[in-house]
Amino acid sequence: MPNVVLHKSGEAFRGEVAAETNLVVRAGIRQFPYPHLTYGCGMGKCGRCACRVLAGAGHLPAPNWKETRRLGERIGQGFRLVCQLWVTHDIELHQDDALNAAAPRPREG
Amino acid sequence: MPDMMDQATFRTALETAIKGKSATRSPFSVAWAEGKLSRAHLCRWAENHYHYVGPFAEYLAYVYARLPAHMTEAKDFMLSNMYEEEIGGDRHTDLLIRFAEACGTSAARVKDPDNMSPTTRGLQSWCYSVAMREDPIVAIAGLVVGLESQVPSIYRRQTPTLREKYGFTDEEVEFFDLHIVSDEIHGERGYQIVLSYATTPDLQRQCLKICEVGAQMRLLYTNALYHNYVENDLPLRELDLAA
Repeated sequence: MPNVVLHKSGEAFRGEVAAETNLVVRAGIRQFPYPHLTYGCGMGKCGRCACRVLAGAGHLPAPNWKETRRLGERIGQGFRLVCQLWVTHDIELHQDDALNAAAPRPREG
Repeated sequence: MPDMMDQATFRTALETAIKGKSATRSPFSVAWAEGKLSRAHLCRWAENHYHYVGPFAEYLAYVYARLPAHMTEAKDFMLSNMYEEEIGGDRHTDLLIRFAEACGTSAARVKDPDNMSPTTRGLQSWCYSVAMREDPIVAIAGLVVGLESQVPSIYRRQTPTLREKYGFTDEEVEFFDLHIVSDEIHGERGYQIVLSYATTPDLQRQCLKICEVGAQMRLLYTNALYHNYVENDLPLRELDLAA
């Protein structure tokens, strides 16, 4: 059972989830990391669920085409779209809503 | 009069009602999973599927309007479900049309109601009927738990096949990808609402019945797709229906 730590607004929220869990789905059904994880469209488009991966990135698959399009250079800084991830191992995330709101819009096409 | 079920028992009963007539073993679904459908077959699927899922927010809107004001959580759920279907990101039907165009048909053909089969028209009409006539909680059981919650398991099997066996790109099959996340949320939240608000044995019974009928309707629709568009090219003996 993966342990998840979500850092946000100076606090750390911890929870245990089943393997192969999508954290946006969890938040959507009102379970941890609800209500702390911010998300939007759930389809890799809006970028509101973006988090920087502080630990556990090695267990994640490479960013998919939606993450590449939406996050651009932020991928190199360790950002991922949580709606596109199915967590299989312990992971530690940091989310900054203001930073996500200010992030550049994706290129279309 | 049967006794009131606790939530765990009621949930299991709902799952059983849906599973009993699951569309995943229909010839059309099996042919899809085995990579045996042609692009023309997939065009016909998209031209029908649009008229079943396209009005989904409309179905939910009727239920939303009829939910009593005190059922705030249920109302909010319906509203966010509608929002996510239509304007939360890309409109879901636009992604369906993108897939349809990749298969070789056009947006105009997909949107033309003359291109749906009578069975698809029947399924669409049943959805409107449920939304307008049933108790709102029973309607959520039928439309969200009975129909929408089935989608993730179906698309989870179909999406890799579309890439690996049919050769579609990630972008062309995004319609199927997004449903794995959003319908999973909608289906589970639908369960939570139905479990919380079906507060009498009779309401529980009605919810179970409509899930059973909903699953029958979806199976009817999927079987008709096979008989109308596929059977002549791909007879049953060529499909592995035993599993």
